[in-house]
Order: sequence, then C-alpha cells, then structure tokens
Amino acid sequence: MATAEYDDVRIDDVQELEREIASQRDANVPIEMETRDISVWFAKRKVLEGVSIAFPKQSVTALIGPSGCGKSTFIRTLNRLHELIPGAALAGEVLYEGSDIYAPEVDPVHIRLKIGMVFQKPNPFPSMTIRGNVLSGLKLSGMKRSNHDDIVEQTLTSAGLWNEVKDRLNAAAGDLSGGQQQRLVIARALAVNPHVLLMDEPCSALDPGSTLKIEETIRELSKEITIIIVTHNMQQAVRVADNTAFFLATDGNPGHVVEQGPTTEIFGNPRDQRTLDYVNGRFG
Amino acid sequence: MSSTETEFRDLQSAATSHRGDRVFNRTITGAAFTALVVLAGITVFLGLQAIPVLQTQGLDFLTTSIWSPPDYGIWGMLYGSVLLSVVALVIAVPASLLLSVFMVFLAPTWVAKVLTNLVDLMAAIPSVILGLWAFYILSPVSEEWQQLLNQYLGWIPFFQNESGNFSGTPFTAGFVLAIMMIPIVTSVTREVLGRTPPELINAAEALGCSLWTMLRYVALPYGRGGLIGGVMLGLGRALGETIAVFFVLKIVFDPVNYYNVIESGGGSVATLIVAKFGEASGPYETQLLLAAGFFLFMMTLLVNVIANLIVNRTGRLQK
Amino acid sequence: MSTTQVFDESRVASLAEQRPQAPWGTRTASFRTIVILAVFIPAAIVTGLWWYTDIAKPVLMVAGYLPLQLAAAIVAAVALRGKKSAFDAVIIVLAIGATVFSLVVLVSVLWSIVTKGLEAMSTAFLFQNNEYISPSTPLGYGGVGHAVVGTVVIVGISALIAVPLGVMTAIYITEVRGRAVPYVRFFVQAMSGVPSVVAGLFILTVLILSGALNQSAFAAGLAYAILMLPTVARTAEEVLRLVPEELRTGALALGSTRAKTVLRVVVPAAKTGIITAAILGVARVVGETAPLLLTALKNDKTVLNPFAEPISALPTYIFDNVAQPYPDAVIRAWGAALTLMIIVAILFTLTRLFSSRGPSK
Repeated sequence: MATAEYDDVRIDDVQELEREIASQRDANVPIEMETRDISVWFAKRKVLEGVSIAFPKQSVTALIGPSGCGKSTFIRTLNRLHELIPGAALAGEVLYEGSDIYAPEVDPVHIRLKIGMVFQKPNPFPSMTIRGNVLSGLKLSGMKRSNHDDIVEQTLTSAGLWNEVKDRLNAAAGDLSGGQQQRLVIARALAVNPHVLLMDEPCSALDPGSTLKIEETIRELSKEITIIIVTHNMQQAVRVADNTAFFLATDGNPGHVVEQGPTTEIFGNPRDQRTLDYVNGRFG
Repeated sequence: MSSTETEFRDLQSAATSHRGDRVFNRTITGAAFTALVVLAGITVFLGLQAIPVLQTQGLDFLTTSIWSPPDYGIWGMLYGSVLLSVVALVIAVPASLLLSVFMVFLAPTWVAKVLTNLVDLMAAIPSVILGLWAFYILSPVSEEWQQLLNQYLGWIPFFQNESGNFSGTPFTAGFVLAIMMIPIVTSVTREVLGRTPPELINAAEALGCSLWTMLRYVALPYGRGGLIGGVMLGLGRALGETIAVFFVLKIVFDPVNYYNVIESGGGSVATLIVAKFGEASGPYETQLLLAAGFFLFMMTLLVNVIANLIVNRTGRLQK
Repeated sequence: MSTTQVFDESRVASLAEQRPQAPWGTRTASFRTIVILAVFIPAAIVTGLWWYTDIAKPVLMVAGYLPLQLAAAIVAAVALRGKKSAFDAVIIVLAIGATVFSLVVLVSVLWSIVTKGLEAMSTAFLFQNNEYISPSTPLGYGGVGHAVVGTVVIVGISALIAVPLGVMTAIYITEVRGRAVPYVRFFVQAMSGVPSVVAGLFILTVLILSGALNQSAFAAGLAYAILMLPTVARTAEEVLRLVPEELRTGALALGSTRAKTVLRVVVPAAKTGIITAAILGVARVVGETAPLLLTALKNDKTVLNPFAEPISALPTYIFDNVAQPYPDAVIRAWGAALTLMIIVAILFTLTRLFSSRGPSK
C-alpha cells in the first residue's frame, strides 16, 4: 500500500543523484569494479533493472534487500555465472579494472579466476582432501603456482581455518563442520589470488559462532582484496561493510537499487523512506 | 535512458567460448549419438538384407508359413512370437500387479525391501539359465499341468490338444517368458504404485475407502500410464527373447498353431534365427535370417517406442 | 476462567510412567483367533485331502485350496470389518499368492542350479578347458575354464567400449545439456529394447559377413556393447543427476573450464555411482547367449587372442551341453550355470554394496 507514494519519485532520478554523490565521494578512491545500468532477464522475465554500483578497491560492499529482490542474481552477473542458466539475458556493462567483462573477446574463465566466489551452501569437492580442495582452483584453472604448501598454509590462515585443520590436511573435506567447510571454500577461492571475492549469503547456513569467525575473516581479507557480499542479516552488513546498496523489487516489477552509499549513512541516516523501513525491520 | 531500447549482450555463444570446452563438447556430443548411429545402422544394414529377400520371396515371406527351399515365409514365427507374448502377459501382468500391490500397500517395510532385492535378483538371472531350468525342471511339471488343463477344461478351445503331446507347447514357452517378464514389469509397477501421492491415499482413507476402492479409484487410475508402459517394456523383452524359448518350444511352420496353447509346436522369430543359423546351407539362408531379424527388430522397436512414450508422458505429468 | 492450574501430583506420577505405545496396533483376542482360523482351516482341509485322496495335486491347489482360502478370508473379513472389506480379502489373498508364486519360482531356479551344479564342481571343472572332451567323457575331466576366460575377455572388451560411450552419453544429457537431449534420451531408451539376437545379427552382417572380422571375442564384444550401452547410460545419467549443482558452479567460479569441471569435479563426485553403472551393464550382458551363437561360435580351446578365432563363453558352453543325451554333459551344463550364476550374484552384491553407500556428500 505504502509504495504508491514512492512511485512519484522517478527511480532513474534517484539513481542519477546517487551516482553523482558516489562519484563525488569516491573521487580519490580507485574503483576496482563497476556496473553500468545492468538489467537482467530470465527467459522473458525481467528481474533486475538499471543497476549501477561502483565497488572501490579493498573495500567491503554489502548488498541487502528482501528475498527475491535480485541481489543474488546481480552478484552472479559480476563473474559471469549468470550466463550458465539457460535463457539468461543481460543488458548494460560490467567493468573490471576499467574494461567490460562481457566483451566478446573476453574468456569467462579468466574473469572467474580474477573474481572469485563463495556460495550460500558450503560446496567443498567431496572427492578431494582438505589440502586438495584448497589447491583445486589451481588444478581446475590450470594456473601454475609454486610452493603449494605455503599456499595451503597462507590461505587457510587467511580464512581462519589453519589452526583447526593443520594436523589433518589429508582428511576428507566432507568431515568438516558446516562453518569449517565454508571457511575451507573461502581458502579455496583465495588460492587462485583473486582481486575480488563475491560472497552470496556466506553465513546463512551457519551457526552464530562460525558466522563471527567468517566476519572476522572478511574484515581481514578486505585489507588485500575487494569484497562484495550479499546478506540477509542487517547487523552483518553493519559489522563488515564499508558501503551498502539496498535492493528492492515491488510486486511484479524488476528489482532495482533504492539507495546506496556508506553503510553508516544507509543505516544511520537513509534518505529514502523504504530504506528506513527496511533497515528498521518493518518489512522484508 | 536505455530502458526503452535495450541492447542485449550475447551470452550464449560466450558461455561456450573457451577453446578446450568446444573440443570437449564436440567429443561428448559425438559419443552421445552412438545410440542413434547404432539404431540407424541396424535399420539400414538389416533392411538392406531384407530387400533382396522380399524381391525373391515377395510378400509371401511375411504372409506364409513355410521353410523348405525354395519357399520361405515367417508368418507362423511372427504370429508365434505374439502368441507367446500374449500367454506370458496373461500370466505375468496379474502376477506383477498383485506382487507390487503386496510390496507397496500390504507388506511391512522390511519385507518389501527384501522382496525388492529378490525381484531384482530374479531379473538378473540370465535367460540361458532360465532355459536350462525350464527344459529340465519346468517342462515335466508343465506337461502334467497341461494334461490336467486338457482333462478338465478341454472344452475351452484354447485348451484343446489332439496329439496327446504336451511338450514344446506355447504354454510352457509363454510361462518361461512370464517368469522373465515378472521382475521387469514388477519393478516398474511397484515404482508407479509407490508414487501414488500420499495425500490422495490419505484422502481416500479419510473417506473410509477400503484397500480395494483405494486401488480401483485412486492408485490404478493415477498410475495407469506407467503401468501400461511397464507392461509394454516387458512385452518388448518377451518378443525378442531367444534362448529361454529355444529350449522349450518346438518350432513348427505348418500348420500355424493359432490358439491351441497346450498343443505341441509354435513359433518365435528370435528362436528361429538361432535354430536355423547353425544349419544355414548358404548365404541365401543367412540372408533370410537377417531379414527375419529386421522384421523382429521393427516389431520390438515399435513396442518399445510406444512403451517409452507412455512412460515418459506419465513421468512428466507427475513431476 | 482462572489462569492458575491445580497441581495434581498423581497426574505427574502417571505421566512419568508412560511408555511409548501404539494403541492402533493392538488387536483383540477374538480378532487374532478369527485370522488364525481363516488361515489354518483351509490349509488343514487341503493337507488332509493331499495325503488321503488321489486328487491330482495341481487340481487340488487350484480348485480346492484357492477357493477355500478365498472363502475363508472373505468370511473372516466380513465378520471383522463388515461387507465392504470382502474385496480387500480377495486382493490380500491373491497378492500373497502372487508373491509366494514368484518366490517359489525363484527358489526353484536357484535351488536346482546349486544342487545340480555342485555335482559338477571340482577344481578340474573350474580350470580345465574342453579340449579332447566329448559329451560322453566322464565328469572328472575337462571343464569351463576356457568358457570363463571367454566370458571375461568378451565382457571386458564390451565394457571397454560401452562404459566410456555410455558415461559420455550421460554426460551429454546432464552436463553438456545440448539441444538434442530429449532425442538422445529417446534413442538410448529405444536402444535398450534391441533384442540380443538382433544385436548379434547386426555385427554379423556388418563386420563378419563383410569379411572385416572373424567370428571372435572382439566381434562378440561389439555385440555385447550394443546391449550394455543403454544400461550404462541410463544408470550413469541417474547418478550424475545426484551431483549437487553447487559443485558445478563452485568449480566454474574457481576459473575452471566446463570440461575440467566435468572431468575433475562432477565425475569424481559420482565415482561409485558410475562404477555401479558399469557393473549393472556387465550384469546385463554376461548371460546373453544369442549374440555369441552368431558372432563368437564355439571353441574347445582356451583362446586369449580376441581377433584370431572363435571363442566359447559360459552361456554358449551351457547352450552346447543342454539337451545332450549324455547325463555327464547335462551335469556340465548345470555346473556352468552355477558358475555363471555365481558371477551374476557377485556383480549383484557389488551393485547393492555401492548403491547402499549412496552418492558421497
């Protein structure tokens, strides 16, 4: 019901405004990734419209919003996983280090190497050991890196798992707990040296203890790489994210970004009534 | 704003743009067409052998029943294959349905599990072993049954026997085929009945339905397509079975045994091929057998395709 | 209206004593009596007739026991549950009858193979070949060694051909997901209906009559492969479907190509299932006889060269010894049947072991 009054404000105008503000604010921070006017379809159904977000280097950006607002779909367009779904279509540009990742000459395999991803459900490879899982990215992508032992220790340490598994690196990955598996998957993603790490609700299947550990890991990692995280948990966004973008899909319409900016602004002083309602838990 | 004129990005060709993947996709796609190549190969190469046979024998090859040079006709064999399958169906369909009703609706879970394994084991028995068993163990018993059938029910045309010889009858051969069909049909019917939605069963029970009314008005109509398909899969197997029939059926071309199932002598295309192959007197007789094989293949292919269409359609409906 | 509840100590005590029960499972004594009577009265009457009259046994069972048992079941059902359950009684009696019938057949087959097969069993029988042996040679000499070797060689060749092709067909359906998927599935299903004798004729006409191959283990292996491929493809398709989608996207997100995702992640994850598919394929063909009669013929010697000459296998050895007028030859056939059945039983057990472990998580 309340959406009627919002419709007076043109979505595009809001975005224009946002973009202006964002560009002013981040003028001195280098941009790692950026989307320009991304729209996404599944078969004939449009699920996202005109999303433009900039992701500064070595920052954490949280994508929040109620279920079905298209934030998971959006994050999958950032490393070209979206196109694996039959009937998927896309318009707009995704820039990584200034060039379009959907350009015809670009090999999606290279993009996915630079832009790693961690999923909602931990998905270690069951046929491999813990060590094998960490190194699986190197094997699967055909990447050559020496010092495998160092990589295993370094990435598992970054993922906050090293102390728990250092004595059983050759155990089956399936024997780990859910939280440990998720951190193993993070280590696996780090082993190929990505510049960006996408996380699609990485903690939604985990207990609070594991969630805290992974949030610590995220804070640590953001000193090195750019992180984009989809989350349902608003406290989590407040805890880990430098910037936040709020996605919303009103009945039947494709999802879009209502408001984006520094996390403190979005949660402390949102300009849009809907953002205020959402971050205060009035819907979604 | 670009919202009025959207420029779609090319995703589908990009998705497989990696060079190694193209090679992989082509290899796999090539291998996936083995089945088509084999089916087409069988049709073409056996069909090529059938053409000269039809040229020399004419349609008589399909409509007469004789195997003495220079005249050959396999009508009796084609008809015999069908007759054996009908005998097998009459025995196997009720048995399989009742067996699966027992497994799904009546037996305790552990009994059903044991029975499932036993039925699968039954399906794993090679047909040559069933043939051996049928020749030495079943045949004498079956002859006794047939004598009694003839003695008490001889007034029914099916159970007439003029010769007094009860060996090598379509009944015994059909019985062996029924034993081969029961596990095949049961494994399908059991699954089909087992997929009856519990909410339908509950609804029927809440209405005070008995087992019979539940089967009659819920389970059987719901699974009808799957049940028919399962029976036809078994039928396809029965039509093509060779060895188990070979040991217990006396092949007779003339007269064609049309319905006296407990009279000695009958026909089967598959068995004919094996029986005559060893004694084939030259390339022409071999060609006759290849032609017979072509028509057997066409017959089984037809039954099988219809069966799969029925099973697939119901499978999709239930998803 | 009062919100306070009176504390009732005796109620707590009775709660503490409660044990899990199934009141719907308890039956009254009269119920049990009627069921037992319904089962035993017909059986007792028929047993009496069985021993003290000359009525032919099959007639007694069909015309005596079955109607009596049906009548007893109907009477019992009507007495206990009312008229509506009369049909149920008929179904229950017939369903149990069909189950017993199937079990009797299965036990009869297995029992005859084991008892008669054991008469032939000896180390000589298992390891010697059939050279210099005629159907009338006493049992102590000769055996199925050459036929076991033949079966292993032929089945091995067919597995080498059909397992990779079958698994690749399954990969096409579940991983490549090309446009032709419905057609490929349809052809695989149609191929599973090819009669074994037709598979033999196909190889015969294309490769043997054309002069390309001898009747040999390789030719027979090709014929077996035609029968094996659909079984492998259909089973492998089912197990590949069980591999969670997250593993595929996970691998792709790591910068893996599709090919490597399939070969290094999906197939290893479905390893036990694919082995099961291969075993099921082997079990499907191992007893097939008709193709061998056309493409392998027979040979009394042990043959290892798959191209050179005709070769015997267990099914053809059984085929040759059935219906011989010599009792020892017939016993040999049973012995070979037991050997074949043991191989089938081992394969059968292996598939159960693998599939009970399920797909690794």
